[in-house]
Amino acid sequence: MMLHAVLLIVAQTIVLLAVSPFIVGLIRKVKARLQCRRGAGVFQPYADLAKLFRKQPVVSSTTSWIFTATPYILFASTLAAGLLVPVFVSQTPLNFAGNIIALVYLLALGTFFLILAGLDAGSAFGGMGSSREAIVASLTEPAMILSIFAIALTAGSTNLSTIVHKTALLEGIVTDPSPHLMAFAALFIVALAETGRVPVDNPATHLELTMIHEAMVLEYSGRYLALVEWAAGLKLLVFLTLIVNIFAPWGIATSLAPGALGLGLAVYLVKVSGLAVVIGVIESMFAKLRLFRVTDLLGVAFILALLALVFFYVLRG
Amino acid sequence: MSLLSQQLGSQMVNLGSALLLLTCFAIVAQRRLTACVDMFAVQSVLLAATAALVAFLTGIHHIYIAAALTVVIKAVLIPRILKQVVERLNVTRELVMNVNIPASLLICGGLVMLAFFITQPIIPLGFLLTRDSLAISLAIILIGFFTMIARKKAVTQVIGFLVMENGLFLGATSAAYGMPLIVEIGVFFDVLVGALIIGIYTHRLQDAFDSVDTTKLTTLKE
Repeated sequence: MMLHAVLLIVAQTIVLLAVSPFIVGLIRKVKARLQCRRGAGVFQPYADLAKLFRKQPVVSSTTSWIFTATPYILFASTLAAGLLVPVFVSQTPLNFAGNIIALVYLLALGTFFLILAGLDAGSAFGGMGSSREAIVASLTEPAMILSIFAIALTAGSTNLSTIVHKTALLEGIVTDPSPHLMAFAALFIVALAETGRVPVDNPATHLELTMIHEAMVLEYSGRYLALVEWAAGLKLLVFLTLIVNIFAPWGIATSLAPGALGLGLAVYLVKVSGLAVVIGVIESMFAKLRLFRVTDLLGVAFILALLALVFFYVLRG
Repeated sequence: MSLLSQQLGSQMVNLGSALLLLTCFAIVAQRRLTACVDMFAVQSVLLAATAALVAFLTGIHHIYIAAALTVVIKAVLIPRILKQVVERLNVTRELVMNVNIPASLLICGGLVMLAFFITQPIIPLGFLLTRDSLAISLAIILIGFFTMIARKKAVTQVIGFLVMENGLFLGATSAAYGMPLIVEIGVFFDVLVGALIIGIYTHRLQDAFDSVDTTKLTTLKE
């Protein structure tokens, strides 16, 4: 049993690390095709990461230890969060270590340190990015927690393995579809905001007036930048995984048999790629919101999550 | 009808009502007036679909007629009239509001909870398969009422009024499988005439004040 657990941790770490640059590349490719460009290949982010890891990092002399420690903390906390989510098998490797609430706050820990690092170098852009990221993060958190509670209530557990397992086998889920639909919409908006995608932030711009995430990481270079970028891709993948496996876990392996695992992995890749294409289309269809309109969008997400929770109680009878 | 299909039917009705409530929030969150009108049209189509589903599940035919009237009058005619008003008046956005959008959304969320708490003791007494949507219909009525209070432009206030009417229709369908057809037709006629009159009144407002802001009416003197 012990060996199984260790193997599962290793396998899931490899899958998460290997797939996340591909998802980033896929979204860029979809956007390029919709703009009638050929675009870089979907494997370009791997080459970018490899290049950045070889480069020498330049660190400003005014920074403290926070600046150099942040990439490692961010990367490690995001990866740990990824190990709390069922990926291709409904059992999570770090099942003993925490539930869905731990996942939310592991991601928040990374965001917190990134905000500190943005302020640390003392540049105007970094501070601006940090303050904006703090606004977005504090507004997404209630929406995320509420939508997750709505889902946890329908499954009767805050343990992600149990939630996914029950939904995959359609066990004990006898409520209406409406709480699920609303929680899905809320979590999708939260995912777009948290990972800095288009209606909230634009990952492809370095225009000082609009950038949020890019402004915070402007001072990073070399292997630090590689880690930050990889962690950003990882965070995107964790959110996509969370969404597909909570709301559509069908096909996920519910046992550790090799056949089920292979099928689970293939289905997982298809589902995550599908959602990445959807995000690419959304990024091409919508313009970025003005910063002061972001609160409207996140207000909608919060209300959706709240309604999901209320509907769970009302429509149960 | 077997218990399972009845449960499924009830869930579908609940889903329809939930989507109706969502369109209410979309109307509250919108700034552009034409988008508001479009959302109202979508809401009316959803309402008609939900009513038609109830008619199918219960076999009561006059609900079909009411659903068809909803599509013709509330999803096609009234949105067209309102869009003409918006186009001719050249007002495209609600820029100044009594309550801003995030606060409106939160208040509407509170109204939904209020509606649920009020109807909580009544719902288990009902025996219709649509009983759960009573809470939602009350929530829609309250949100429509709130829209009329919180927005200043006459066009948005009309939409609030129409949203209230949609909520009443859903309430009648969920509490009693619809009103008698003659009453239903009377209500549709009233709503249509109401929308026409308010359209004309909005023009007069524009002529008198160069604005469709209804708060300007307080400056009227004898």
